[in-house]
Amino acid sequence: MAKTELKTNKKTEIEDSSSLKGTMASVMFLGIFLVVTWVSVYFLFLDRF
Amino acid sequence: MHMHKFEKIWLIFGIGALVVFLSVVGVSAFYLGNKPPSCLTTIDPEKVDTQAPFNKPGLNKVEGKEWDYELVYVASAFFYNPAEVEVPLGAKVKVMATTKDVIHGFQVAGTNINMMLEPGYVNEIVTTFDKEGEYLVVCNEYCGTGHHLMSSKIKVVKK
Repeated sequence: MAKTELKTNKKTEIEDSSSLKGTMASVMFLGIFLVVTWVSVYFLFLDRF
Repeated sequence: MHMHKFEKIWLIFGIGALVVFLSVVGVSAFYLGNKPPSCLTTIDPEKVDTQAPFNKPGLNKVEGKEWDYELVYVASAFFYNPAEVEVPLGAKVKVMATTKDVIHGFQVAGTNINMMLEPGYVNEIVTTFDKEGEYLVVCNEYCGTGHHLMSSKIKVVKK
């Protein structure tokens, strides 16, 4: 007789994808780029008459 | 609600940056009183030549105002009046400009003076000319076939 899959004790292995290191790095890279360009344009504005 | 530590960090970073940027703009507008160069002053474009201060284009000394000089510019296809002007170094100047015909640009290259002259409106900007040199004034709004020939010169000189 065929066994139903429901009653097996095997646990499905889930890959741990909770690491956000790469996301953090790319977010900060973009964030710092935005801040640096904004600040440099702002100081250019202040420097000119 | 569970939130990853990194998510908290970049949310604070993002919202913080937004708050700082908007505060700078807000302080500039509401505390320092910066406004667009074209602000509610109107003029009949057909009578520009007869109305003060545009009946006397050029640099005019003024007394009892927050600025020392008024630099008056009239733009028309395809030139500026005056074509060349000398400004003493360190002078606080109110630049006033308008156009007699179509939309022209008024950009003093290498400075923050950059405005769009629309017929019927007067543009004003107050600034201190604190760097010596020759500055090119160019039209940066396409105004017709002679657009590329339209220019003027501001010389900031020690006096």
